[in-house]
Amino acid sequence: MNWVSKFRKIPFWSWFWFILGVIYFVLPLYATLDFSLRMERDTLGFKAYAVAFQDPAFLKTFSYSIMLAILTIIVSVALVVPTAYWIRLRLPEARRIVEFITLMPFVVPAIILVFGLIRIYSSPLEIPFTSIVLLQPLTNFKLGTNILIIGGYVVLGLPYMYRSVDTGMRTVDVRTLTEAAQSMGASWATIILKIILPNVRTALLSGALLTFAIVVGEVILASFLGIPAFGPYLFLLGQHRAYEPAALSFTTFLLTWAAMGIIQLVTGGQSQAAGAH
Amino acid sequence: MAYLELNNINKYFGKTAAVENFNLQVERGELVSFLGPSGCGKTTTLRMVAGFETPTQGRVIINNEDVTHKSPNQRDVGMIFQSYALFPNLTVAGNIGFGLKIAKKPAEEIHKRVQDMLDLIHMPDYGNRYPYQLSGGQQQRVALARALALSPDVLLLDEPLSALDAKIRVSLRSEIRAIQQELGITAIYVTHDQEEALSISDRIVVMYNGHIEQIGSPFQIYNFPETAFVASFIGTLNSFNAEVTDLTNNVLRVGDLRLTTAENLEDRKVGDKVMIAIRPERLNFSSDLKKANLIDCTIENITFLGSIVRIQVKVGDLRLHMDTFNNPFLELPKIGDKAEITCSREAVIILQH
Repeated sequence: MNWVSKFRKIPFWSWFWFILGVIYFVLPLYATLDFSLRMERDTLGFKAYAVAFQDPAFLKTFSYSIMLAILTIIVSVALVVPTAYWIRLRLPEARRIVEFITLMPFVVPAIILVFGLIRIYSSPLEIPFTSIVLLQPLTNFKLGTNILIIGGYVVLGLPYMYRSVDTGMRTVDVRTLTEAAQSMGASWATIILKIILPNVRTALLSGALLTFAIVVGEVILASFLGIPAFGPYLFLLGQHRAYEPAALSFTTFLLTWAAMGIIQLVTGGQSQAAGAH
Repeated sequence: MAYLELNNINKYFGKTAAVENFNLQVERGELVSFLGPSGCGKTTTLRMVAGFETPTQGRVIINNEDVTHKSPNQRDVGMIFQSYALFPNLTVAGNIGFGLKIAKKPAEEIHKRVQDMLDLIHMPDYGNRYPYQLSGGQQQRVALARALALSPDVLLLDEPLSALDAKIRVSLRSEIRAIQQELGITAIYVTHDQEEALSISDRIVVMYNGHIEQIGSPFQIYNFPETAFVASFIGTLNSFNAEVTDLTNNVLRVGDLRLTTAENLEDRKVGDKVMIAIRPERLNFSSDLKKANLIDCTIENITFLGSIVRIQVKVGDLRLHMDTFNNPFLELPKIGDKAEITCSREAVIILQH
């Protein structure tokens, strides 16, 4: 059967909704691109991009956000993989509770989260009933605020990371693979690192990508904690300039898609190997 | 002392008894099957040997060592699963060498052992393939090689052939048995398939509701079932409630039918109710009057089963099945014909309960 006859067999309404979806998604993107290219009157050009990239604050905030994203992903993986694994293996009755917890960022807005973090961690940690200070307020020093924001980002990314990993684990028989590895003398660490992680790699990368996208574009936590991240920079730029924010938005969008493409390329063979069993 | 001992094993999940009073001694190099229906406790018992479950009571001893409370990775036990459980991210060679790598064996030794194992399962050129590139039968052979690579004290097989089609199942079970005998490895084989258990085992443990019903060789289990459950679970069986009528001549009454048995009735009294069983293949049309039991009957149904022809006959209110070997010159009676069938005294078995 050739492609033409295949396409003809697809019902009209399927095409209608598909095209409507594409328009809804592509049209704003096209508008952003078109606007970003019109910095100079009556000509299309990349001047907005050149100006934006030449601003030293761009590189500084963008690299800072990338660093935060990488650290967030590492902490998320270290937290979510063993949790999802243990729930599948030994605590299936806890799944509903954990799923509820991971959905909290959809219910509790980021602004509430950041106020909560500031309220709790802007006071020193003292030994109860004494005035002995164990830890200075995290909001008082740079490392502290970085820890706070990474913690906040881990929470914001939790719904995506947990679901990706949990879905990945559903496609492999985690329990039997664990028992098979155990019967061959493997320790828990070996099982997680050599068997579980490689088999949920694609799912992990999907979760990591979503977390990356959230962190790089996040504004509220970074603004309130005073972190020099890319989100607040873009927000400020948008208040004073017109074309550069459009150029940067389009660039970050392209970067995200490029990252997704790379992930597809890198994990294509692996996912086939891990998925078929 | 036996190589593998399960002493007074009990396992409870909450208040539910999964396994009770399980005692078994397995000699070195022996293949023992756990046979029973779903939920009878056979897999739970196997998992206690593997270390995936801990007995509520009792001890598991392997090679004179009490391993009851040892974790699975501290026991020298190889396991094969129904779902193969090959690691999808590793090649066939990677899977087989996994345990050896964990044991930190030198690379050369691992390579040689992996190749030996691939030769053993007749897949010498499959080392670089991934599990998804293999058929079910090939995957299970790799799983066997992987379990054997570490030369375990005991090999545990949890319904290893259940996911395969009938032809592969038959050939692979012969292969598993041949390899087990060649290596002289002690093995426990869990199955719900009676034919599989009868064909592969040195001994069979028939289980029902968490209890051992009978332990014996396939010959003993089939020909001399001790309980009604074993008799009904293994093969086809005619079973009836009977009454002891004559202790001197060992005569039992089933309705209007009188049957003589070779079993000892000394412990019983006239009038005692017993359950008796006769295998279909022990009944025949022979007019050999030396046979103790002659039964007048009417042919009710004839079923062709390939190598066997199963004939259902009616004796009063009773219905019996009789099996006879098929051959092209077999002269079968017609439905509704009157016939006389016989069976020996030894064919009439008394079941314990």
